[in-house]
Amino acid sequence: MTRGQLVGLAASAPFAAVGVGALLRNADATHPARAVAWIVGAAVAHDFVLAPLVFTLGALVRRAPLGRARVWVVTGLVVSGVVALWSWPFVRGYGRLANNPSVLPRNYGMGLAVTLVAVWTAVLVMTLVARRGGTGRAERRADGRTPG
Amino acid sequence: MVRRARASLTFTSPLHDVRTAAWLGALLGVSFTTCFVTGLTSHLIHHPPSRFEWPARPAGLYRVSQGVHVATGIASVPLLLAKLWTVYPHFWASPPVRSIAHGIERLTLLPLVGGSLFMLVTGTMNLARWYAFGFDFTATHYAVAWITVGGLVAHVGAKWAVARAALWPPRTADPTAPATPSPPRTGGVSRRGFLGAVGAGAGVLTLVTAGQTVHPLRALSVLGPRDPAVGPQGFPVNKSAVGAGVVAAATDPAFRLTVDGIVARRLSLSLDDLRSLPQHEATLPIACVEGWSASARWRGVRVRDLLDMAGAPRSATARVVSLQARSRYRTSDLHAGQLDDPDTLLALEVNGEPLHLDHGYPLRLIAPNRPGVQQTKWVTRVIAR
Repeated sequence: MTRGQLVGLAASAPFAAVGVGALLRNADATHPARAVAWIVGAAVAHDFVLAPLVFTLGALVRRAPLGRARVWVVTGLVVSGVVALWSWPFVRGYGRLANNPSVLPRNYGMGLAVTLVAVWTAVLVMTLVARRGGTGRAERRADGRTPG
Repeated sequence: MVRRARASLTFTSPLHDVRTAAWLGALLGVSFTTCFVTGLTSHLIHHPPSRFEWPARPAGLYRVSQGVHVATGIASVPLLLAKLWTVYPHFWASPPVRSIAHGIERLTLLPLVGGSLFMLVTGTMNLARWYAFGFDFTATHYAVAWITVGGLVAHVGAKWAVARAALWPPRTADPTAPATPSPPRTGGVSRRGFLGAVGAGAGVLTLVTAGQTVHPLRALSVLGPRDPAVGPQGFPVNKSAVGAGVVAAATDPAFRLTVDGIVARRLSLSLDDLRSLPQHEATLPIACVEGWSASARWRGVRVRDLLDMAGAPRSATARVVSLQARSRYRTSDLHAGQLDDPDTLLALEVNGEPLHLDHGYPLRLIAPNRPGVQQTKWVTRVIAR
């Protein structure tokens, strides 16, 4: 075991002790078994559901002949995926309250759609700009001029 | 060998490298530390230990602190997912445990990875007010935060040397030779492109949500959990009068405010009595623990004036009691420093109108630099202590 690992473990112990203590001391509120199930469940859901999905999608994108558009398409996919995943409970509206319309007051499905349209419009624009820049550089090289 | 070969076939991106992981780890270290410090601050304000007195000024400090907590948590979502993506091949490493030290290191990843995901998932669910997890959000979010940070500290210790070498490579004799080689280009996205995509994810998520705190961004915040301009009298509420079960008591014409406790004379004041007392105005925010905030112009009676009328000692603290029969937030406490602030009011009006029932009619506490749940609504009693 390295010195860093030992120091890290020693330094982490007080934090872990406070956390476990708070979890057990307020067991009526924290329901430790449920909390642990959510901690483990979140890791399992990520490692065995979300990550394989992302890697499958990544493999497809990797094979696609995107050329200069690749970085912008990947950026679009990353942003779209993150925004869609995060906003899912809002779009579904699980927490809406009939007696309090100021809670979740927006049309989140529309908000997500607007965000995705804006993101992919930006991807399109940046791809066109990148292609034009690439063409320009290629033309300059053909003219015998050095780029940039 | 077969499993390792299979793994290398599956995870071909050169971005599963130490430098990318170190960059994302450093960014997450900053964002999680920010969330932890601001979250701990909020916890201390809600559950103050003895001798801890949260100051009354600056009036908007909690608004900023909690706004930063929530915005940073949201922006951490793409950072965490990208970090997990980068190191994911290690999850399938063969053999799974190389030594006792390696086994311990892997074991500490469960509270770190599971805890980090737990914090961001439950935090998001709380913003969406979707309480499907079967435990109290605030108590459990607080406890797991400590456990997660414990895992983070252990991980930083284990990886410090590797990460430092990747982030700040030692100078070599040949200044043109990179100490940490860039990943080979295999037709994929470069490290800069990948980190840029992750940054774009964090930026877009911030842009479409931060308007609930940063009002100039309101029009862009199409996914903001709250709209600071939507609600009765033009700003949101967390608990409506119907939800709190106080409609009958709050609209009872026989309503009276009681001031008692360690006082020379007990007061029992009707709404007309309160309106006849000197009125004061203050522009103060309602700053919710969920990150949204909205300012309003409040008008009412200073709590200090009421305590003076009742003959309470100047050193007394005060407990403000709501008409709510059952709520963990039916009371809130004001220390002497908060009582001395001229903007600590029992408000009768907001933005020139009598309080809406959902904003605490007939009477609510409004004071500088307090979380929204401590701005007690439907106040019926002030106890000098």
